[in-house]
Parts: sequence; structure tokens; C-alpha cells
Amino acid sequence: MNESAIFVLTFILYIVAAFFYLAFLFTRKESRAQAGAVVAVIGLAAHTAALVVRTIESGHAPFTNMYESISFLSWAFVLAFLLIDRKFKIPKIGPYLLLIVIGLMALASSPLMPKEATPLVPALQSYWLWLHVSVTLLGEAFFAVAFIACLMYLATSEPAKKEQMDNVSYRSVAVGFPLFTLGGLVFGMVWAYRAWGTYWSWDPKEVWSLITWFVFALYLHTRIVLGWKGKRSAIIVILGFLAALFTYFGVSYLLKGLHSYA
Amino acid sequence: MKRLINLFTSIKLAIGLIILLALASILGTLIPQGRTAEEYAAFYGQLAGLFGALQLTRLYHSIWYMGLLLLFAVNIIVCTLERLGPKLRRALRPRLESEPKSLLALKLNARAKRSSSAAEAAAEVRKLLEGARYRVRQSAAGPHIHLLGRKKVWGLFGSDMVHLGLLVILAGGIFSGAASIRADLALAEGETKSAPKADFGVRLDKFSTEYYPDGSVKAWKSDLTVLDGGQTALSRTVAVNHPLTYKGYSFYQTGYGYNWDNPGVEVWAKRKSDPAYLRKLKLKVGERAVLADPDKTTLAVTKFLPDFVLGDDNEPVSRSNQPQNPAALVEGYRGEAKIFSGWIFANFPDFAQMHAAAAKDQDKAGDLTFELKSFDAGQYSILEAAKDPGAPLIWLGCGLLMGGLALAFYWPTWEIKTAIDEAQDKAEIIIGGLASKSREAFAREFEILASALRKPK
Repeated sequence: MNESAIFVLTFILYIVAAFFYLAFLFTRKESRAQAGAVVAVIGLAAHTAALVVRTIESGHAPFTNMYESISFLSWAFVLAFLLIDRKFKIPKIGPYLLLIVIGLMALASSPLMPKEATPLVPALQSYWLWLHVSVTLLGEAFFAVAFIACLMYLATSEPAKKEQMDNVSYRSVAVGFPLFTLGGLVFGMVWAYRAWGTYWSWDPKEVWSLITWFVFALYLHTRIVLGWKGKRSAIIVILGFLAALFTYFGVSYLLKGLHSYA
Repeated sequence: MKRLINLFTSIKLAIGLIILLALASILGTLIPQGRTAEEYAAFYGQLAGLFGALQLTRLYHSIWYMGLLLLFAVNIIVCTLERLGPKLRRALRPRLESEPKSLLALKLNARAKRSSSAAEAAAEVRKLLEGARYRVRQSAAGPHIHLLGRKKVWGLFGSDMVHLGLLVILAGGIFSGAASIRADLALAEGETKSAPKADFGVRLDKFSTEYYPDGSVKAWKSDLTVLDGGQTALSRTVAVNHPLTYKGYSFYQTGYGYNWDNPGVEVWAKRKSDPAYLRKLKLKVGERAVLADPDKTTLAVTKFLPDFVLGDDNEPVSRSNQPQNPAALVEGYRGEAKIFSGWIFANFPDFAQMHAAAAKDQDKAGDLTFELKSFDAGQYSILEAAKDPGAPLIWLGCGLLMGGLALAFYWPTWEIKTAIDEAQDKAEIIIGGLASKSREAFAREFEILASALRKPK
């Protein structure tokens, strides 16, 4: 099977998983959520295979154009969700996260996204491409889980569920923030220093990563030092995730800079 | 002074500064940075002057942005120092005594009774805690014994390490800004240039461009030799992502350029009157070649422009140094008399037209056609030579930052405080637990220890 066939299979599996999770949401039957998790794991395995095949076929890391990078981001979203779900049992997040993933993958498959694997320009030929992009996107995936948890916090009125979503969002940020700092800022600076000779250039993508970092720093300080919880915390996480999203999409399409590769 | 310190220790200032820095940074991505005054005037009109005055056009290097960063640094220093003392005392010389009442007020607490002396009960608790890998300290023996069991105490300092890391990074940035040396070196093959403000030089031995099958660039490679004191110190191939480093200087492949001083061109000559006629000529600009047509015409290439455009006064000029519209001016001679001339274009072979020098040469000019088939110019390599003494501080700061985050999030300090009282040959044990993070995991562990204690011995 070639990469695009596995990609389509993955897409279908995620849709099936989303249906099971939605069924769980309406029927409250645990078995539906479990079925959803199993299908999502199979989908993730297929997705992994698609990324591996892509890497072998193109000979480089599977995130050098928008199609590849959205596919990898969706993979990271599902992985982050399954990991957090394993620890905190949050199947209610499942349908929303999978709907976002399905939307992203539909966007990646749209004719507007060139899918051909193009050879790597000299600047991207480095193992730092692997480290910088994969760790950053994984960090952003945990932000996505926190983001959905916060939306659900705001949407629900059950105190027990509110408590759980508040906790899940904090724990997701506790994973995502170090990963984002390491991949986005530290690895980014190391690579920039090797490739461009300067570790920081105030390029729009760099600045937006820093802004994202500031927002989550704000979240941690208001929460840990000032004891903010609940609504105000949730709003900061939502802003932080939107900043991360803008760093990822917005900067590439709206602002020009050194990072214009895709 | 006291009020000033209070201001800087307040978390509200930190939060205000983070918000201001974030907003200012956003503004800097909305206004393009570092363009020319003309570009701003054209784009923003009246506002351009205001932007200039507020330094919004080089925002990240502006006095006020630097000021915000400096305030932020002072805020971090003051906050960290204020908290560091008590934290160090807590880590190194913790208070062992705790009131039984305050222990019972903790969310995690347990009590147990023993028909033994306080000392024996203390030994039992100590053994239990040490078995679970707590470091235990004990107050002086007597009827009232206090134990303090702790794990991962250094986790307390995670946030301080993060803050120290940020300060080191800021210091590295300032040091880089003040002391780094940078220069672009454009080197032709065989050329040697000295590194900026250094006593050694680099020679470009060979420059090559590798292409993918689809024609896009795969790599630019410069074979460099470092010459130090007349000696060859080092030879290496430099490519993008693979700089050469010598005596604190790094040499980065940043670009390339063409040397258009003396390019070679290949021109094909054809005749409309004779389809079998084809002459392939390879010559340098300024050279002449014989066309070997019946009239013994000679052809000269007198000019070459890599990026042909008509300038302001309708004169041909090159818009750039990139071969985007390569064009050559060819002239035909009979003996020493010029009979025709015209521009030929590599990208537009049909566009060429020869202009006769005189009416009698009209036929000749109309008969011959020329195509600019290829051209080749020496390429030179552009390298950035940089010495950045701030960089090691940045890496140190990044290490502290990541180490601090790991400590802060994943090295939680867990404390179990114990108070043991002895009365009428019976000991009462009261324990209480505190965790800075990972409270659920700690609660599980505490419950295991508490149930072990509750079991009657």
C-alpha cells in the first residue's frame, strides 16, 4: 500500500473512532468509549505507518510541507489524547479532539495542499529538522488537549466534571509546556545557530513562539502563585492554544520571514 | 527603597510585564521590521513618522522593549532572591517539630497507637518511611519525638532554576549584542580574505552547487582552508547546516553570487536563406569569432547582462546579479566595419532582431539569426563569518531552563511529618503529608504508608 492509501485508511478509522466516542457521549455507555479508544489506537498505528512510508519514499522527515506537517500534527494530537486519556480517563474529550483531527486531515487532503514530496532545500537538511519540528508539534498537541479540556470546562456546569477538566488541562500543559520550550525554543535556537549563524533573529515565527510561551508562562504563574483556577485559567489556556495555532498556521500564511519553507 | 523592593517582588508586576511583552511582541509582527524609510512612508503615509519616533520599526531593539526586558530581569532577580532564602532554609535546615493539631488539619493525615515507648514507635515510623525512600530527620529523643521524611527536596528549586536560566539567556543575548562580530565574506575560487577583526584568513579552494534531478538546488559547498600565520591550519567543506569553526569564529554558507565580469557565452548562428547552416560559437565577452558564411562576417559579443531590463533612459541595464533574464549584445563585422547589432535573450530566443548599421546591410541583418544558448560565469561563495561570545551563555541558560522545568514539573517534593507522643507507656503516632505537585500519586503512596501504620503491631 502506498502512503496516500494508508492516509485514507487512517482517516476512515478516525471517523469510526469519532462515531464511537459520539455514541458514548449520547448513551453514556463505557463500552462505546472503549471501542472508540481501540479504533483510535488502530488509527494511530495506521497513521504511524503512513508517516513511516512517507519518510522512506521521500527520504526525509515527514513534515517539510503543509500537507506533511498537518498530517504529523494530527498524529501528535491523537497520540497526546490517547496518552492523557490512559492516565486520566477522559473519553469525553475524544469526540471533540477527533473532530478537530478529522478536520485537519480533510484540510491536508484538499487539492489546495500540494502533496508531492519535494526535495529538501539546503537549509532543511539537518537532523535538527526532526528534533525541532517533532518535539514542538508534540508539545502543541498537548496544548490542544488542554484547550479542549478548557472549552469543556467552560461548557459544563457539573462540578465534578469541571474539577476533572481543570485538572486535565493543567496536567496537559505540564507536559506540553516543557516539550514546547524544548522543541520550539531551545532546539529552534540551536538549529538556527547552526544553519544561520545566529540563534535568534526576531523572525515572526520565532516571535510568535515566544508569545505562545509567554501566555503559558502567564497561565502557570497565575495558577501556581496566585492560585487562579477554573474559568480564568481556562481562558488563558484557550488564548495560549490560539497563539500556538497562529504560530503554526497564521505566521506561515500571513507573515513572511525566515521560516517560509512550506 | 522598601516600597521599590515590594513593587519588584510583587507577582502582579511579573504578570503585567509578561502581558506587556506579549502585546509588544505581537505589535512587532504586525509592523514589518527593519525596512527602509521610503517603504514605511509609502505604506503607512502619515503614520510612518510616528512609527519611527516610537521605534516601532525596529521594535525588538528599541529602548522601551529593552527596558521592558530589563524590568522583567530585575523582577525575576528580586522575586527569586526573596524566595530563595526561606527555600534554602527549608531544604537544608527544616523545622522538624510540628503540632499534632496542625498535622491533623492537613488533607492527608493518619493516626495510630502503639503500646510501646515513643522511641520504639519512632524507630518503626523511620523504618517505614526509609523503606519508601524518604530521607528522615528526627528531633531529639524524649516523650515528644518529631520525624520529618522527605523525598526529592531539590524539586523545590525547579522554578528558581528556570528563572536563573532565563536570566542567563538574557545576559547571553546582551553579551551577543554587545560583543559579537559578523561580516559577509564574498570569495571567488582561489581568493583569500581575512576573518573580521582576526589574525587569520580563509581561502576558498572550490565552490560547487549540487542539483536535484528536478533542477532545484541540493547543496552549496565551499571547500575552505584556514590560513593562520602563513600556515594551513584547517581544511573543510562548508555547507548550509555545516559551518566551520576556528578560534571562536564560525563560517556559515549563506549564499552565492555570480561574477559577471568576464562571462563565457555560447551563441548559435543560423541563416534563413540556408536551413543547413548552423554555427555553434563559444566565446568570451569581447571576443570575436568568424561566422564562415559566404561574406566572411565576424561576430563579436560585446556585452552581457544577467538580468536585462530597459533602464530609465531606455538604456539596457541589469536589474540584479541573478541570471533572471540573461541577454548578450552581438555585433556583426565585415572587416572592421560594423554591419549589424542586436540583443539576444536566453529566455526569449524569438525576440532577437538584428539592426543593420546601414541600409545596404539590411539583407544581411535580416538573414542571420542568433540564439543565446548558454552562458557561464564564475560563481563566488558568500560566507558569513561570525564570532558570538554570547552563545555559550545561551546554551547554559537553555540547559538550566530545561533542567528547571523538569524539576518543577516532574521532581515533586513530598513531605511526611510525624509527631509522636508518649503517655502511660503508650505512644500515639500522628502523620500528615504535603506534596508540592503530583498530589494524586502522593495521596496513593500516603494511603499505603498510613494503612501500614494503622495495622496493630
